[in-house]
Amino acid sequence: MSFEPKILGIACNWCTYTGADLAGTTRLHYPQNLRVVRVMCSSRINPSFIFRAFQLGADGVLVGGCHPGDCHYNTGNLYARRRLAVTKKILEFSGMEPGRFRVEWISASEGNKFAEVVTEFTAQIKSLGPQTKFKISQ
Amino acid sequence: MTISFKQIEEKLKTEARRLLESGQVSVVLAYGKGYDEKHPMPYVAKNPSDVANIVFNEYCNYNMARYLVRYPAGTKIAIAVKAADSRAVIQLIQEEKVKRENLVLLGIPVYGMKNSKTQEGIDSKTTSGLYNPILYDILLGEEVHGQKIVSPYDVIAEYEAMDKEVRWAFWKKEFDKCIRCYACRKACPMCYCDPCFIDQNKPKWGDKSPETHGNLMYHLTRFHHLAGRCIDCGECSRACPVDIPLYLFHKKVAKECEEMFGQAAGMSILDKPVLVNFRVDDSDKILA
Repeated sequence: MSFEPKILGIACNWCTYTGADLAGTTRLHYPQNLRVVRVMCSSRINPSFIFRAFQLGADGVLVGGCHPGDCHYNTGNLYARRRLAVTKKILEFSGMEPGRFRVEWISASEGNKFAEVVTEFTAQIKSLGPQTKFKISQ
Repeated sequence: MTISFKQIEEKLKTEARRLLESGQVSVVLAYGKGYDEKHPMPYVAKNPSDVANIVFNEYCNYNMARYLVRYPAGTKIAIAVKAADSRAVIQLIQEEKVKRENLVLLGIPVYGMKNSKTQEGIDSKTTSGLYNPILYDILLGEEVHGQKIVSPYDVIAEYEAMDKEVRWAFWKKEFDKCIRCYACRKACPMCYCDPCFIDQNKPKWGDKSPETHGNLMYHLTRFHHLAGRCIDCGECSRACPVDIPLYLFHKKVAKECEEMFGQAAGMSILDKPVLVNFRVDDSDKILA
Protein backbone atom coordinates (compact mmCIF):
# COMPACT_ATOMS: atom_id res chain seq x y z
CA MET A 1 0.00 0.00 0.00
CA SER A 2 1.37 3.38 -0.90
CA PHE A 3 2.07 5.90 1.84
CA GLU A 4 -0.72 8.41 2.35
CA PRO A 5 0.53 11.22 4.60
CA LYS A 6 -1.56 12.98 7.20
CA ILE A 7 -1.12 16.71 6.86
CA LEU A 8 -2.44 19.27 9.28
CA GLY A 9 -3.45 22.54 7.70
CA ILE A 10 -3.98 25.52 9.95
CA ALA A 11 -5.72 28.22 7.96
CA CYS A 12 -6.62 31.78 8.80
CA ASN A 13 -10.36 32.44 8.60
CA TRP A 14 -10.16 35.55 6.42
CA CYS A 15 -7.73 34.54 3.71
CA THR A 16 -6.51 30.98 3.43
CA TYR A 17 -9.71 29.32 4.63
CA THR A 18 -11.75 31.44 2.25
CA GLY A 19 -9.18 30.65 -0.45
CA ALA A 20 -9.71 26.96 0.23
CA ASP A 21 -13.44 27.55 -0.07
CA LEU A 22 -12.87 29.20 -3.43
CA ALA A 23 -10.76 26.27 -4.58
CA GLY A 24 -13.74 24.06 -3.71
CA THR A 25 -16.39 26.16 -5.40
CA THR A 26 -14.27 26.42 -8.55
CA ARG A 27 -14.06 22.60 -8.56
CA LEU A 28 -10.29 22.45 -8.33
CA HIS A 29 -8.74 19.11 -7.39
CA TYR A 30 -6.11 18.75 -4.75
CA PRO A 31 -4.96 15.80 -2.61
CA GLN A 32 -7.20 14.75 0.25
CA ASN A 33 -4.34 14.36 2.71
CA LEU A 34 -4.86 17.81 4.17
CA ARG A 35 -6.99 18.22 7.30
CA VAL A 36 -7.78 21.87 7.72
CA VAL A 37 -8.32 23.56 11.07
CA ARG A 38 -9.68 27.08 10.95
CA VAL A 39 -8.29 29.76 13.24
CA MET A 40 -9.26 33.39 13.31
CA CYS A 41 -5.77 34.64 12.53
CA SER A 42 -2.36 33.12 11.84
CA SER A 43 -1.10 34.79 15.01
CA ARG A 44 -3.61 32.66 16.93
CA ILE A 45 -1.31 29.70 16.29
CA ASN A 46 0.57 28.70 19.39
CA PRO A 47 3.87 27.05 18.34
CA SER A 48 2.96 24.21 20.69
CA PHE A 49 0.11 23.35 18.28
CA ILE A 50 2.74 22.45 15.72
CA PHE A 51 4.93 20.41 18.09
CA ARG A 52 1.79 18.68 19.35
CA ALA A 53 0.58 17.90 15.82
CA PHE A 54 3.86 16.20 15.03
CA GLN A 55 3.65 14.25 18.28
CA LEU A 56 0.13 13.09 17.50
CA GLY A 57 1.25 11.73 14.14
CA ALA A 58 1.06 14.50 11.57
CA ASP A 59 3.55 13.97 8.74
CA GLY A 60 3.52 17.61 7.80
CA VAL A 61 2.08 20.92 8.97
CA LEU A 62 0.98 23.67 6.58
CA VAL A 63 0.13 27.06 7.96
CA GLY A 64 -1.78 29.54 5.83
CA GLY A 65 -2.29 33.22 6.50
CA CYS A 66 -3.06 36.48 4.77
CA HIS A 67 -0.34 38.21 2.82
CA PRO A 68 1.67 40.56 5.06
CA GLY A 69 -0.09 43.89 5.04
CA ASP A 70 -3.43 42.26 4.26
CA CYS A 71 -4.25 40.95 7.72
CA HIS A 72 -7.87 41.38 8.80
CA TYR A 73 -6.51 42.53 12.17
CA ASN A 74 -3.85 44.73 10.52
CA THR A 75 -0.76 43.31 12.21
CA GLY A 76 -1.52 39.71 13.24
CA ASN A 77 0.40 37.97 10.51
CA LEU A 78 3.42 40.22 11.01
CA TYR A 79 3.75 38.86 14.54
CA ALA A 80 3.04 35.36 13.26
CA ARG A 81 5.77 35.64 10.64
CA ARG A 82 8.44 36.23 13.26
CA ARG A 83 7.06 33.61 15.62
CA LEU A 84 6.69 30.86 13.03
CA ALA A 85 10.16 31.60 11.64
CA VAL A 86 11.53 30.80 15.10
CA THR A 87 9.37 27.65 15.26
CA LYS A 88 10.88 26.51 11.99
CA LYS A 89 14.44 27.05 13.20
CA ILE A 90 13.70 25.15 16.41
CA LEU A 91 12.26 22.20 14.48
CA GLU A 92 15.30 22.17 12.22
CA PHE A 93 17.85 22.31 15.01
CA SER A 94 16.11 19.50 16.88
CA GLY A 95 16.68 17.29 13.83
CA MET A 96 13.26 17.39 12.15
CA GLU A 97 13.34 17.50 8.33
CA PRO A 98 12.95 21.17 7.33
CA GLY A 99 10.40 20.34 4.61
CA ARG A 100 7.75 19.10 7.01
CA PHE A 101 6.69 22.53 8.18
CA ARG A 102 5.68 25.25 5.80
CA VAL A 103 4.08 28.67 6.00
CA GLU A 104 2.31 30.13 2.98
CA TRP A 105 0.51 33.41 2.44
CA ILE A 106 -2.66 32.67 0.47
CA SER A 107 -5.33 35.31 -0.01
CA ALA A 108 -9.08 34.75 -0.32
CA SER A 109 -8.93 35.13 -4.09
CA GLU A 110 -6.11 32.66 -4.60
CA GLY A 111 -8.01 29.38 -4.87
CA ASN A 112 -5.58 28.26 -7.56
CA LYS A 113 -2.59 28.94 -5.38
CA PHE A 114 -4.18 27.00 -2.52
CA ALA A 115 -4.65 23.94 -4.71
CA GLU A 116 -1.10 24.24 -6.09
CA VAL A 117 0.50 24.61 -2.65
CA VAL A 118 -1.40 21.64 -1.23
CA THR A 119 -0.51 19.45 -4.23
CA GLU A 120 3.14 20.42 -4.06
CA PHE A 121 3.37 20.06 -0.27
CA THR A 122 1.69 16.64 -0.30
CA ALA A 123 4.13 15.42 -2.94
CA GLN A 124 7.00 16.71 -0.85
CA ILE A 125 5.77 14.95 2.30
CA LYS A 126 5.25 11.74 0.33
CA SER A 127 8.87 11.84 -0.81
CA LEU A 128 10.02 12.46 2.79
CA GLY A 129 8.09 9.43 4.02
CA PRO A 130 6.35 8.94 7.38
CA GLN A 131 7.31 11.22 10.22
CA THR A 132 8.62 9.07 13.09
CA LYS A 133 10.85 11.36 15.13
CA PHE A 134 8.29 13.28 17.16
CA LYS A 135 5.48 10.77 16.92
CA ILE A 136 4.44 9.19 20.19
CA SER A 137 4.96 5.45 19.81
CA GLN A 138 1.94 3.47 20.88
CA MET B 1 45.39 41.77 34.84
CA THR B 2 43.89 39.34 37.28
CA ILE B 3 40.62 39.49 39.07
CA SER B 4 40.80 39.90 42.82
CA PHE B 5 37.70 38.15 44.08
CA LYS B 6 38.51 39.17 47.65
CA GLN B 7 38.56 42.83 46.61
CA ILE B 8 35.21 42.53 44.84
CA GLU B 9 33.76 40.83 47.93
CA GLU B 10 34.94 43.68 50.14
CA LYS B 11 33.48 46.29 47.82
CA LEU B 12 30.23 44.35 47.59
CA LYS B 13 29.98 44.28 51.38
CA THR B 14 30.77 47.99 51.72
CA GLU B 15 28.19 49.01 49.16
CA ALA B 16 25.56 46.62 50.51
CA ARG B 17 26.05 47.95 54.03
CA ARG B 18 25.91 51.56 52.87
CA LEU B 19 22.72 51.00 50.85
CA LEU B 20 20.95 49.12 53.63
CA GLU B 21 21.96 51.54 56.37
CA SER B 22 20.89 54.58 54.40
CA GLY B 23 17.55 52.92 53.67
CA GLN B 24 18.02 53.38 49.93
CA VAL B 25 17.12 49.74 49.41
CA SER B 26 15.32 47.20 51.56
CA VAL B 27 16.85 44.10 49.98
CA VAL B 28 20.31 43.26 48.64
CA LEU B 29 20.53 40.24 46.34
CA ALA B 30 24.05 38.81 46.45
CA TYR B 31 25.92 35.62 47.23
CA GLY B 32 26.35 33.94 50.60
CA LYS B 33 28.25 31.09 52.18
CA GLY B 34 27.27 27.58 51.22
CA TYR B 35 28.43 24.36 52.84
CA ASP B 36 31.92 24.92 51.45
CA GLU B 37 33.83 27.47 49.45
CA LYS B 38 33.02 25.84 46.13
CA HIS B 39 29.29 25.96 46.70
CA PRO B 40 28.21 29.50 47.49
CA MET B 41 24.48 30.17 47.66
CA PRO B 42 22.18 32.94 46.54
CA TYR B 43 21.83 35.25 49.50
CA VAL B 44 19.36 37.94 50.42
CA ALA B 45 20.58 40.59 52.87
CA LYS B 46 17.78 42.54 54.53
CA ASN B 47 19.58 44.11 57.50
CA PRO B 48 23.01 45.72 57.76
CA SER B 49 23.97 42.87 60.11
CA ASP B 50 23.36 40.32 57.30
CA VAL B 51 26.07 41.87 55.18
CA ALA B 52 28.87 39.96 56.92
CA ASN B 53 27.54 36.75 55.33
CA ILE B 54 28.06 37.99 51.77
CA VAL B 55 30.81 36.25 49.80
CA PHE B 56 32.11 36.43 46.26
CA ASN B 57 34.41 33.94 44.57
CA GLU B 58 34.86 32.27 41.19
CA TYR B 59 31.98 29.85 41.83
CA CYS B 60 29.33 32.56 42.26
CA ASN B 61 27.67 31.84 38.93
CA TYR B 62 24.07 32.27 40.01
CA ASN B 63 22.03 34.76 38.10
CA MET B 64 20.47 36.80 40.88
CA ALA B 65 18.08 38.47 38.44
CA ARG B 66 16.04 35.27 38.99
CA TYR B 67 14.91 36.63 42.35
CA LEU B 68 13.84 40.11 41.22
CA VAL B 69 10.36 39.09 40.13
CA ARG B 70 9.62 37.55 43.53
CA TYR B 71 9.36 40.89 45.28
CA PRO B 72 6.20 43.02 45.24
CA ALA B 73 6.23 45.88 42.74
CA GLY B 74 7.88 48.96 44.16
CA THR B 75 10.36 47.16 46.43
CA LYS B 76 13.71 48.90 46.33
CA ILE B 77 16.30 46.27 45.49
CA ALA B 78 20.06 46.31 45.12
CA ILE B 79 21.39 43.43 43.07
CA ALA B 80 24.88 42.13 42.29
CA VAL B 81 25.14 41.69 38.51
CA LYS B 82 27.82 40.13 36.35
CA ALA B 83 27.79 40.65 32.58
CA ALA B 84 25.05 38.15 31.70
CA ASP B 85 23.04 39.05 34.81
CA SER B 86 22.92 42.68 33.76
CA ARG B 87 21.46 41.59 30.43
CA ALA B 88 18.81 39.65 32.35
CA VAL B 89 17.92 42.76 34.33
CA ILE B 90 17.68 44.78 31.10
CA GLN B 91 15.43 42.13 29.59
CA LEU B 92 13.18 42.17 32.67
CA ILE B 93 12.96 45.97 32.43
CA GLN B 94 12.01 45.62 28.74
CA GLU B 95 9.27 43.21 29.74
CA GLU B 96 8.08 45.62 32.43
CA LYS B 97 8.59 43.13 35.21
CA VAL B 98 10.78 45.50 37.19
CA LYS B 99 11.29 49.24 37.06
CA ARG B 100 14.70 50.77 36.56
CA GLU B 101 14.17 53.35 39.29
CA ASN B 102 13.56 50.65 41.91
CA LEU B 103 16.90 48.98 41.24
CA VAL B 104 20.46 49.66 42.28
CA LEU B 105 22.77 47.57 40.12
CA LEU B 106 26.10 46.63 41.66
CA GLY B 107 28.08 45.73 38.56
CA ILE B 108 30.80 43.12 38.82
CA PRO B 109 33.33 43.05 35.96
CA VAL B 110 34.70 39.55 36.09
CA TYR B 111 36.16 36.67 34.13
CA GLY B 112 37.58 33.29 35.06
CA MET B 113 34.38 32.04 36.68
CA LYS B 114 34.24 28.29 37.19
CA ASN B 115 31.58 25.63 37.26
CA SER B 116 31.63 24.08 40.71
CA LYS B 117 30.53 20.70 39.38
CA THR B 118 33.20 20.25 36.71
CA GLN B 119 35.82 22.85 37.76
CA GLU B 120 35.84 24.03 34.13
CA GLY B 121 35.96 27.68 33.19
CA ILE B 122 32.59 28.88 31.91
CA ASP B 123 33.75 31.91 29.91
CA SER B 124 33.98 30.13 26.57
CA LYS B 125 30.60 28.42 26.90
CA THR B 126 28.27 31.07 28.23
CA THR B 127 28.53 34.75 29.20
CA SER B 128 28.36 35.71 25.46
CA GLY B 129 31.99 36.79 25.50
CA LEU B 130 31.08 39.73 27.74
CA TYR B 131 32.99 40.46 30.92
CA ASN B 132 31.72 43.88 31.90
CA PRO B 133 28.11 44.49 32.95
CA ILE B 134 26.18 46.43 30.34
CA LEU B 135 24.07 48.37 32.81
CA TYR B 136 25.17 49.28 36.33
CA ASP B 137 24.99 52.04 38.89
CA ILE B 138 28.10 51.21 40.87
CA LEU B 139 30.97 49.26 39.36
CA LEU B 140 32.79 47.07 41.87
CA GLY B 141 36.33 46.90 40.51
CA GLU B 142 37.83 47.99 37.24
CA GLU B 143 36.47 47.23 33.81
CA VAL B 144 38.01 44.18 32.23
CA HIS B 145 40.09 45.01 29.18
CA GLY B 146 42.32 42.96 26.95
CA GLN B 147 40.60 39.66 27.62
CA LYS B 148 40.08 37.49 24.61
CA ILE B 149 36.51 38.01 23.48
CA VAL B 150 34.97 34.69 22.63
CA SER B 151 32.38 34.67 19.92
CA PRO B 152 29.23 33.53 21.73
CA TYR B 153 28.15 31.25 18.90
CA ASP B 154 31.41 29.35 18.33
CA VAL B 155 30.40 26.42 20.50
CA ILE B 156 27.33 25.55 18.45
CA ALA B 157 29.14 25.39 15.10
CA GLU B 158 29.87 21.68 15.39
CA TYR B 159 26.21 20.92 16.16
CA GLU B 160 25.02 23.03 13.26
CA ALA B 161 27.32 21.12 10.93
CA MET B 162 25.92 17.75 12.07
CA ASP B 163 23.66 15.74 9.82
CA LYS B 164 20.06 16.14 10.98
CA GLU B 165 19.74 12.44 11.83
CA VAL B 166 22.84 12.59 14.03
CA ARG B 167 21.56 15.78 15.64
CA TRP B 168 18.17 14.21 16.31
CA ALA B 169 19.88 11.21 17.91
CA PHE B 170 21.94 13.59 20.04
CA TRP B 171 18.97 15.61 21.29
CA LYS B 172 16.81 12.54 21.81
CA LYS B 173 19.52 11.03 24.01
CA GLU B 174 19.85 14.28 25.94
CA PHE B 175 16.11 14.85 26.41
CA ASP B 176 15.60 11.24 27.44
CA LYS B 177 17.88 11.90 30.40
CA CYS B 178 15.55 14.62 31.69
CA ILE B 179 13.92 13.77 35.02
CA ARG B 180 11.57 16.77 34.89
CA CYS B 181 12.81 18.36 38.08
CA TYR B 182 12.29 21.78 36.42
CA ALA B 183 15.59 23.07 37.83
CA CYS B 184 16.19 24.79 34.46
CA ARG B 185 12.93 26.65 34.87
CA LYS B 186 13.67 27.59 38.47
CA ALA B 187 17.18 28.85 37.67
CA CYS B 188 16.12 30.89 34.64
CA PRO B 189 15.63 34.63 35.22
CA MET B 190 13.21 34.76 32.27
CA CYS B 191 10.97 31.87 33.35
CA TYR B 192 8.48 33.70 35.51
CA CYS B 193 5.13 32.50 34.09
CA ASP B 194 2.63 31.38 36.67
CA PRO B 195 1.50 28.78 35.90
CA CYS B 196 4.07 27.46 33.46
CA PHE B 197 2.47 26.02 30.31
CA ILE B 198 3.58 22.53 31.29
CA ASP B 199 1.75 22.77 34.64
CA GLN B 200 -1.55 23.60 32.99
CA ASN B 201 -4.24 20.94 32.80
CA LYS B 202 -6.66 22.68 30.47
CA PRO B 203 -5.30 22.46 27.84
CA LYS B 204 -2.74 19.87 28.77
CA TRP B 205 0.18 20.78 26.53
CA GLY B 206 2.47 17.92 27.35
CA ASP B 207 2.79 14.83 29.48
CA LYS B 208 4.20 15.48 32.92
CA SER B 209 5.92 12.12 33.37
CA PRO B 210 9.58 11.98 32.39
CA GLU B 211 9.19 10.24 29.06
CA THR B 212 10.46 11.12 25.61
CA HIS B 213 7.42 12.90 24.19
CA GLY B 214 6.63 14.96 27.28
CA ASN B 215 10.27 15.95 27.66
CA LEU B 216 10.46 16.95 24.01
CA MET B 217 7.32 19.06 24.31
CA TYR B 218 8.54 20.74 27.48
CA HIS B 219 12.00 21.57 26.22
CA LEU B 220 11.11 22.64 22.68
CA THR B 221 8.32 24.89 23.91
CA ARG B 222 10.59 26.32 26.56
CA PHE B 223 13.21 27.12 23.92
CA HIS B 224 10.48 28.83 21.95
CA HIS B 225 9.27 30.85 24.92
CA LEU B 226 12.83 32.03 25.52
CA ALA B 227 13.45 32.92 21.88
CA GLY B 228 14.85 36.43 21.70
CA ARG B 229 14.78 36.63 25.50
CA CYS B 230 17.48 34.16 26.58
CA ILE B 231 20.46 36.20 27.76
CA ASP B 232 22.90 33.32 27.70
CA CYS B 233 23.84 33.08 31.37
CA GLY B 234 23.98 29.29 31.14
CA GLU B 235 22.31 28.80 34.52
CA CYS B 236 19.83 26.24 33.10
CA SER B 237 22.67 23.92 32.09
CA ARG B 238 24.53 24.35 35.36
CA ALA B 239 21.38 23.77 37.41
CA CYS B 240 20.57 20.59 35.48
CA PRO B 241 21.24 17.53 37.66
CA VAL B 242 21.63 15.28 34.61
CA ASP B 243 23.78 17.72 32.63
CA ILE B 244 21.63 18.33 29.56
CA PRO B 245 23.50 20.99 27.51
CA LEU B 246 20.43 23.24 27.21
CA TYR B 247 22.61 26.28 26.55
CA LEU B 248 23.46 24.89 23.09
CA PHE B 249 19.85 25.03 21.95
CA HIS B 250 19.25 28.41 23.57
CA LYS B 251 22.34 29.76 21.81
CA LYS B 252 21.14 28.46 18.47
CA VAL B 253 17.75 30.13 18.89
CA ALA B 254 19.41 33.34 20.08
CA LYS B 255 21.72 33.28 17.07
CA GLU B 256 18.84 32.82 14.65
CA CYS B 257 16.86 35.61 16.30
CA GLU B 258 19.83 37.93 16.11
CA GLU B 259 20.36 37.13 12.43
CA MET B 260 16.69 37.38 11.49
CA PHE B 261 15.66 40.38 13.57
CA GLY B 262 18.98 42.15 14.11
CA GLN B 263 18.69 42.44 17.85
CA ALA B 264 20.23 40.49 20.71
CA ALA B 265 18.37 40.05 23.98
CA GLY B 266 19.00 42.35 26.89
CA MET B 267 21.36 44.87 25.31
CA SER B 268 19.36 48.08 25.77
CA ILE B 269 16.41 49.05 27.95
CA LEU B 270 14.93 50.91 24.97
CA ASP B 271 14.49 47.75 22.86
CA LYS B 272 11.36 45.67 22.67
CA PRO B 273 11.60 41.86 22.84
CA VAL B 274 11.74 40.63 19.23
CA LEU B 275 8.72 38.34 19.31
CA VAL B 276 6.33 40.98 20.63
CA ASN B 277 7.49 43.32 17.94
CA PHE B 278 7.58 43.29 14.15
CA ARG B 279 8.78 45.25 11.20
CA VAL B 280 6.67 45.65 8.11
CA ASP B 281 9.77 44.99 6.02
CA ASP B 282 10.71 41.71 7.74
CA SER B 283 11.73 39.43 4.89
CA ASP B 284 9.61 36.44 3.93
CA LYS B 285 12.91 34.62 3.48
CA ILE B 286 13.02 33.97 7.22
CA LEU B 287 10.24 31.44 6.69
CA ALA B 288 12.10 29.55 3.97
